Amino acid sequence: MASQGTSLKRYAVTRLVLVLPMVLLLLTLVFLLMRVAPGNPISAALGGHAPQAVINQISNQLGFDKPLYAQYGNYLWDIVRGDFGTTITDRRPVNEIIATNGAATLELTLAAMVVAVLVGIVLGLVAGRFRDTPIDVGGRLFGIVIYAMPVFFLGLLAQLVFGSWLDWLPTSDQASPLTQATLETHTNIFVLDALIDGNWSALWDILKHLILPATTLGLVTAGIFIRLIRVNVIRTLKDDYIEAARARGISERAVVYRHAFRNALVPVITVVGLQLAQLLSGAILTETTFNWPGIGHELVLYIENRDYAAVQGIIVIFALVVVAVSLLIDFVNAFIDPRIRY
Amino acid sequence: MNRRGFSLRTVVLAGLVLVGVVALGTGAALSSSGSTKRASASVLVDGTTDTVTNIDPAGEYDYGSFTASFPIFQGLLGYAPGAKVIPVLATKCSFKGTKTYFCALRKNVKFHNGDPMTSADVKWSFDRVTKIKDSSGIYTLLTNIKSVTPAGPYGVTFHLKQAQAVFPLILTTSAGFVVDHKVYPNNKVQPNSSEQVGTGPYKLTKYTPGQQAVYEANSDYWGPKPKSDSLIIRYFSKSSTMKLSLQRGEIDMAFRDFTPTELASLGSTKGITVHKGNGVVIRYLVFNVTRAPFDNVAVRKAIAYLFPRQTIASKIYHGNVQPLYSMVPSGLPGHIDAFKTAYGASPSTAKAKAALSAAGVTTPVSIDLWYTPSHYGDASADEYAEIKRALEASGLFKVNLQSAEWAQYSDALGKTYSAFQLGWFPDFVDAEDYTAPFYSTDNFTSNGYSSKAMDALLSKEKATSNAEARYGVLVQIQKLAAKDVPIIPYWQGKMIAVSRSNVHGIDSTLDPSFLMRFWLISKS
Repeated sequence: MASQGTSLKRYAVTRLVLVLPMVLLLLTLVFLLMRVAPGNPISAALGGHAPQAVINQISNQLGFDKPLYAQYGNYLWDIVRGDFGTTITDRRPVNEIIATNGAATLELTLAAMVVAVLVGIVLGLVAGRFRDTPIDVGGRLFGIVIYAMPVFFLGLLAQLVFGSWLDWLPTSDQASPLTQATLETHTNIFVLDALIDGNWSALWDILKHLILPATTLGLVTAGIFIRLIRVNVIRTLKDDYIEAARARGISERAVVYRHAFRNALVPVITVVGLQLAQLLSGAILTETTFNWPGIGHELVLYIENRDYAAVQGIIVIFALVVVAVSLLIDFVNAFIDPRIRY
Repeated sequence: MNRRGFSLRTVVLAGLVLVGVVALGTGAALSSSGSTKRASASVLVDGTTDTVTNIDPAGEYDYGSFTASFPIFQGLLGYAPGAKVIPVLATKCSFKGTKTYFCALRKNVKFHNGDPMTSADVKWSFDRVTKIKDSSGIYTLLTNIKSVTPAGPYGVTFHLKQAQAVFPLILTTSAGFVVDHKVYPNNKVQPNSSEQVGTGPYKLTKYTPGQQAVYEANSDYWGPKPKSDSLIIRYFSKSSTMKLSLQRGEIDMAFRDFTPTELASLGSTKGITVHKGNGVVIRYLVFNVTRAPFDNVAVRKAIAYLFPRQTIASKIYHGNVQPLYSMVPSGLPGHIDAFKTAYGASPSTAKAKAALSAAGVTTPVSIDLWYTPSHYGDASADEYAEIKRALEASGLFKVNLQSAEWAQYSDALGKTYSAFQLGWFPDFVDAEDYTAPFYSTDNFTSNGYSSKAMDALLSKEKATSNAEARYGVLVQIQKLAAKDVPIIPYWQGKMIAVSRSNVHGIDSTLDPSFLMRFWLISKS
């Protein structure tokens, strides 16, 4: 047991140490890419309206004329101090963007993950259980089609069908204008805020707005889970201990649910965690399609305006979240499966 | 084994899930059809694709920020519906000599927090804009002010560095908005997350960046009460999403910007009205006159002869813009159709050919034309495709179309491109704002145009205080501009807003001042 604890600790320390160069590399890439791309936030804001002398003057005021290494040094030092700076185009502290828009992305991503897991698990289980039947074929086909479909296309279809033709659901935003205007902000996660206030009409409005974007994003991810769970269920159902369980007279339902399914889920934990990164990147497109005020939506706008500070700050947060989740998954897997540590 | 039992359980579970989904959908259907109509009639919801950088007047120089701040703040002068300049926070203003401008202030005006508005606030407001020198560039409108001096609590004198006939119009811009000196620091822009205090008909109660701005009617407003008790401006990143929201009734109106195709679709949608008024936004093509082949005026003139203004206005923009024959928009005092006089109302291949032949230019002339695909709207690509088609159809030009997104494009302009698209909406509604920025030596387009004659005319126009005389100089400027043709103006946009049919009052605010006066709009 002492040896197991030591190996787990060593594994954790090794993984943590490896995070630092990974994050540094990412920060450097983002810094360089933003500066290599032509244009800067001042000309983007004033080009076509103000004289070049004014643009130059303001660019100088903001330090864009400093040597690259000086700008890089300031950038890294600010991040180390937890100061992600203020956006250049609209003067918002990046920390505020992370808190408010990050909360919107979290709300969407969690809801999408729930959809992905539910749909993926149910369909994957059913497809695996009824292998090579029409149910299996249908499930697999659905998984492939939904996974191959670009998320923004699925989103536009959903808006067209459920918003425009059927007029069932709202097609954009996190809540209706009146709900958003009157909702008290506690956590910036609207569902929670409405629950905290006991504002049921607001909660219903918010949930209605959440359905289409969460389902769109979740279904695309569910396509991966369907195939993965199906394969795992099929493989597990062939194992000797399953045959042994059947031979002992255990009911098929118990065999599948109590034995096969649980073991089939273990590898899925890793994928669920890794899919979080997929969801974050998918969230960018989903948020743009549905005008969802998440951090991905803001990132697109800031990239278009070459807002160095905003893009750098947001990418750092994305990177840290993905790294943290990956680490967590690695630790969980190492805890469950000792073979990983060695 | 009991495989039949397992199957039955699965079926039951699947059935429960199906029932749940149907219930949710039914509930959604029942609720959503009601909720779109449930919004209070006294709350006006406007959608826009504009973005906000700063609400503080000292930091705003873009139209989105201006629209957000216009319900809150006011200046000494403003525009009445119909674009006539009227006193707002002033009661009377006049020049005393050519470099001194005096305004008597309106009494008993309060800021939203109850503080009285006095000359100290006026001086503070102007001084802070020039002191902060914000990166938005708004301070450049006030560079001609030497000092602002209070004349008692209800009078203020502006001392100018040079005579400036259009100075009253500068006071109508956001650079002249008056803020409470107790709330706004004089050394930095007030963050959008902090309180914003003005004297306007609405007060800002909640601002969520990128999402919405919420306003309530100012109960202590010195003027007429707004027609809607509350106003919400909702921000969209895509016009297609905004269109859906308008059609579903999630918003009541939308001002800026739909594509021409979307406007055409909305125009034929039941329950939706497209409102159009005279606008002052223009589109033009700039030539770098120091770079071949545009360093040859014959080439520029030939393009002016061939320019397909009518086709662009009718086919690309479906009549939502009108052909423009001068940088000064039609409807503004001093405007003449200089390009129509010089080059004709319609394209002429014969005249273009003659111009090139007379200059000994070999045809077809190879040229690069640059445009930016999304900053000025998605129709830009079609617009330039039509220009290319028209020029090549004459047999006189071979056109290579190039494009770049705005962040890159705005940094390049005349420094890199030889012929490029630009658009303009004015700082203030006067012909001077459509001539001086474009035709002076070292103008912002970096197109290399420099003419002593033009510079002399521009200086003369600025210094001329008599209106008729000034318009006479503006006519000369436009004629010289058509002769030298460093720029070809080609369309003037209409001011367009789209609303649901139960919204009233929009037409009264569509005029060349290009201001959306939300306080005049209501819905039944």
